[in-house]
Amino acid sequence: MNQSAALHDHLPAELESKPYKQNRWKKNFWGFMFLVPAIIIFIMFMWVPIFKGFLYSFYTVDFVKGNTFVGMDNYARALTDPDVLIAVKNTLYYMLLCLVIGFWVPIAFAIAISELRKFGGFVRVAAYLPYVMPAVVLYGLWRWLYDPVGPINALIGSTGADQIAFLTDTRWSMISLVFMETWQQFGSGMLIYLAAVLSIPRDWYEAAEIDGAGVWARIRHITLPSLRNLILLMLILQIIATSQGYQSQMALLDGGPNNATLTYALLIVKYAFTRLDYGTATALGMLMFVVLGGLGILQFKLNKEDN
Amino acid sequence: MKSADRGILSEHDLKKTGNKIVYGIMVFFILLMIFSMLYPILMTMFNGLKSNVEVNSFPPHFFPQEWHFSNLKDALDYINLPMFLRNTLYIFVGNMVATLVVLGLASFSISRMNVPYRKAFYFFFLMTLFIPATSYMIPNFVNLKELGLLNQYAAFWLPAGANTFFFLLLKNFFDGIHPEILEAARIDGASEPRSFFTIAVPLSIPIFATLAIFIFSTAWNDWFWPSLVMHSEEKYTLATAIYKYVINVKALNTNIKFAILFLVSLPPILVFLVFQKFIMRGVSLSAVKG
Repeated sequence: MNQSAALHDHLPAELESKPYKQNRWKKNFWGFMFLVPAIIIFIMFMWVPIFKGFLYSFYTVDFVKGNTFVGMDNYARALTDPDVLIAVKNTLYYMLLCLVIGFWVPIAFAIAISELRKFGGFVRVAAYLPYVMPAVVLYGLWRWLYDPVGPINALIGSTGADQIAFLTDTRWSMISLVFMETWQQFGSGMLIYLAAVLSIPRDWYEAAEIDGAGVWARIRHITLPSLRNLILLMLILQIIATSQGYQSQMALLDGGPNNATLTYALLIVKYAFTRLDYGTATALGMLMFVVLGGLGILQFKLNKEDN
Repeated sequence: MKSADRGILSEHDLKKTGNKIVYGIMVFFILLMIFSMLYPILMTMFNGLKSNVEVNSFPPHFFPQEWHFSNLKDALDYINLPMFLRNTLYIFVGNMVATLVVLGLASFSISRMNVPYRKAFYFFFLMTLFIPATSYMIPNFVNLKELGLLNQYAAFWLPAGANTFFFLLLKNFFDGIHPEILEAARIDGASEPRSFFTIAVPLSIPIFATLAIFIFSTAWNDWFWPSLVMHSEEKYTLATAIYKYVINVKALNTNIKFAILFLVSLPPILVFLVFQKFIMRGVSLSAVKG
């Protein structure tokens, strides 16, 4: 069937007589029918919200009295709100912390675990286990771990150092959240890197060793270059994800203390569901889309090269 | 086969003292990592079985001094877990059916049925990946409200059919099915829906199982979106209910809190331990999003 379809495509236009067209419609009837539900669902729940996001950023949304067009007011409000500046700074700080604290951890452990001669399976399961725990359990658990009378402060206290108010100290709150998220999520990234590390041909190391390359040289010149594309892809995925982060900030601290964990996405949520200003919330969303849209395309391109 | 036995390090490397020390440090860090992973999880369990005085004692104990299994009963008295569990399972099953039917049919059509303009259709689905989800989260909520879907399970089931990532996973899987199998069915006179449901679906059990795990963990974990969409208590999902009635409640005893958290994390941990091979393979699939 593939071949015959290809042949039809090359037929001169005048041969596309009416019976042929009907035949073509009939032949592809089910093909189109199979697509119809997905097209309807994608329009209703993807494209319409995306389009409404653009539209409502110029409106005041009121569910009772109806929407009113306000021009650029929402954007003006968004750009003059001092909270937006704080939120952008916090988001950049959060993204930076996630890179510094979290990004290299799965790579390092993937390489280390690939070198284990025994118990590799158990280590993988243990590393992945936190990722399986529901986020709400994570919040409850870490609130207790970070507590002034929790186990981490007990450990710090036993060394004689001062206790740390992990969540209520503005210098520590964001770091504490990033540490918690790294604890939960690194196992999943580690498994992805591990698959890539294990797929590097062992012969390359053999050859390098015979040529006199030491262990670090082998890691630097064989392992890391082989992971280059994956690292780049994971970097972009992480930037896309962290630039939109708000859930743990919201659940544990609601943006506090003193707005120290108020991220941009959390501000959008607060505009919509605390201040009930859906228009400005959508405008903030549009601004985010403009900034982040390019990243998505970059990710797609990298992915294509990867495959 | 000797070359297959080695990693970055060979047997020979491990005989050198310097490398031995580095390897030892590496093992130490892996052990530290395992400890830091397992300690909080086990703590969740043990704290749920301690007396409230003991949970709040400083410094914390690891094992309970007295085992209070009655905490589990108190936990079930405090929060109606079976009801929230039922709601969560409703969402899981509905989302699964929507994914199977809507995305299964569409990806099969794009992948195996050679429809005209399929590049355009493919692009129509794919485009949504470039738009960050948070940027249209609020209009998405407004849209559900305007459609009158708030506080209904349909607000989860229907949009479940609009998942581009799952669409791509399914399409990639169907691309791997030999066209000859379907061709043979067509020659034998099977209609397209028939060959989809009797040939393509049974062949796709592995990918549907992977999707089931993804969909299960989303239904089980997501607390924020259901807390917006559902506004009556009897429709909350498990995660939303825990967030509203356990995490942010100060009046609840800490040991009961932990007993509830333990009960909620147990099913996903068991599912994971039973299906670990399967799930870990799914993780590498999720790496190639897009």
